[in-house]
Amino acid sequence: MLRSDQILATVEMIQKENLDVRTVTMGINLLNCRRDTIEATCEEIEGHIRNKAGNFVEACDFVSRKLGIPVVNKRISITPIALVAGGYLKDDFILLAQALERAATAVGVDILGGFSAQVEKGMTRTDREYIASLPEALALTDKVCASINIASTQKGINMDALTILGQTIKDIAEMTRDQHGFGAAKFVVFCNQPGDNPFMAGAIHGIEEADAVLNVGVSGPGVIARSLERLISEKGPNGLKLDEIAEDIKQTTFRVTRCGELVGRQVSDMLGIEFGVVDLSLAPTPTVGDSVGEILHILGVDAIGAPGSTAIVAMLNDAVKKGGIFASKTVGGLSGAFIPVMEDSLLAKAVGDNDLCLEKLEAMTCVCSVGLDMVPIPGDVDAATISAIIADEMALGMINSKTTAARLIPVPGKAAGEQVSFGGLFGASPVMPVKNVGKSSRFINWGGKIPAPVHSFKN
Amino acid sequence: MSKQMIISVMSQDRPGIIADITGAIYELQGDLADLNQSILFGYLTMILIANFDGDVNPEDVIARVSHIKSPTKLDVIVREMHTPIEIAPDGVPQKTYIVTAQGKNKRGLVHGISSFCYHHNINILDLATTRTGDQYTMILQLDLDKVESIAEIRQELQKYSEQSGLHVVMQHHDIFKVTNEIGF
Repeated sequence: MLRSDQILATVEMIQKENLDVRTVTMGINLLNCRRDTIEATCEEIEGHIRNKAGNFVEACDFVSRKLGIPVVNKRISITPIALVAGGYLKDDFILLAQALERAATAVGVDILGGFSAQVEKGMTRTDREYIASLPEALALTDKVCASINIASTQKGINMDALTILGQTIKDIAEMTRDQHGFGAAKFVVFCNQPGDNPFMAGAIHGIEEADAVLNVGVSGPGVIARSLERLISEKGPNGLKLDEIAEDIKQTTFRVTRCGELVGRQVSDMLGIEFGVVDLSLAPTPTVGDSVGEILHILGVDAIGAPGSTAIVAMLNDAVKKGGIFASKTVGGLSGAFIPVMEDSLLAKAVGDNDLCLEKLEAMTCVCSVGLDMVPIPGDVDAATISAIIADEMALGMINSKTTAARLIPVPGKAAGEQVSFGGLFGASPVMPVKNVGKSSRFINWGGKIPAPVHSFKN
Repeated sequence: MSKQMIISVMSQDRPGIIADITGAIYELQGDLADLNQSILFGYLTMILIANFDGDVNPEDVIARVSHIKSPTKLDVIVREMHTPIEIAPDGVPQKTYIVTAQGKNKRGLVHGISSFCYHHNINILDLATTRTGDQYTMILQLDLDKVESIAEIRQELQKYSEQSGLHVVMQHHDIFKVTNEIGF
């Protein structure tokens, strides 16, 4: 039998630290769903998703009940839709988005990702039609999430696409003005987008994947925060060094990852679907006590964004990976701490208190996943400035060979400091001020490409 | 023909006691099949299974073990097992759950939770308890194979928790295994 202290430590983790599995995401290949007409293709996609994922939610709930670990979200990711819909026009893409919404609703998942395209080297006509469809497609659907990969370490940054996307993001927000631009919260721009990420809005089922696969996103930062609090109260604030704290984070992550893997593998066994990866990302939720910002506080900065914040995030991110990689047979996806402003109550508060600015947030994304995420900005920021903010974030990813992303929400009619709330997991925050607005258009107007960096030439 | 016997020994603990007991069995040319022992506040209890040649009787084993020199008497019980056991299967049954129950110490806590298990057709595979100050902790390893609805048991446990004032948590054994053991 296991030792009593091990059992009690595990019970503590589950009961008091709100251990959960953040998401089980089923990736589904749609490349075989193309038919003669758009209507037939929509029907085939809907049928295929219903067929593959019909028992998915039920299986997750069964395993969750059996093991006594909540699975917070059940999600689906699909093959990037622009690859399935070659030759289709804007209106066809809107019909596809609606078909995906119907399928997601029918199988009972919380959200569906993969209304996506990959344009890091160049755009096809289909890709342009896809981009044009985004404002309407996202306004007409609730569960459908979109993403686009416009940069990679191997191929550089597609600035032609980025120029268009600055305006597209404004249009998406404007089209959902009555929801404060919520549509933009369902759209992410990526550099080095992984094909096995279970987190939204950027989940896709990469073309390198099998027909169907299950990926798991582990529990949030609350578990780490509670464990650190306990450690500090046991040892006293002067009885600990940072390397000991890193070790505690590592061990906690090991346990959390194991639980995620256990749930994922059991669901995958039940459904007869291959298990993919555990994504080790620490994803906060707006719930009090489930915040990456709180970990920064615990580890010693009195304001999030104060000097030292980047170093703490770097240590946290690394310790999480070290614990998780040993715990899991297959790690993948994004696997890094997220700092999504609206989804993390303390990050949002730091914006309101003027502690955290866009530039510091950008610096922190150099050492963690996933980028400028869920950042509400004033609705009147011009398209070129939005493109330029994203270009900076893409450059970080490209040069550092890591995934970065931008999910900016230009909130229509709102100025810096005004509160915006989307509710649920999407959270709330004051609108973040943007400095130097309108000063980047000459750069953005060049278009073309930023060539791939020298270290991409490894052959 | 060999005989399989189950032997139970209780005594005050001291260095060398296990060597003496197993030595007595060895002298009778017994072969140990399995052994489990535990020490509680300086007292040792041991249960073991051994195979002997046909001419060895339980009385011989009792005589040999009882004669071990020790500051306190060794209490020995020996029974012949008429249905020999197979080698125990690896691991635990599929529906093995761990229940932890913690609360203020009072009489009848173990009786209460074990009766709960009995009334709900749950077999207790292992049980360990500790007392720290006035807090009592019970950890039970349970086989819920004969239980139809785990959800119902959870509800019943919740009720029991409220009635008894104990904080009761039930989790599947797999969770403890994967979070505490290196192999998975």
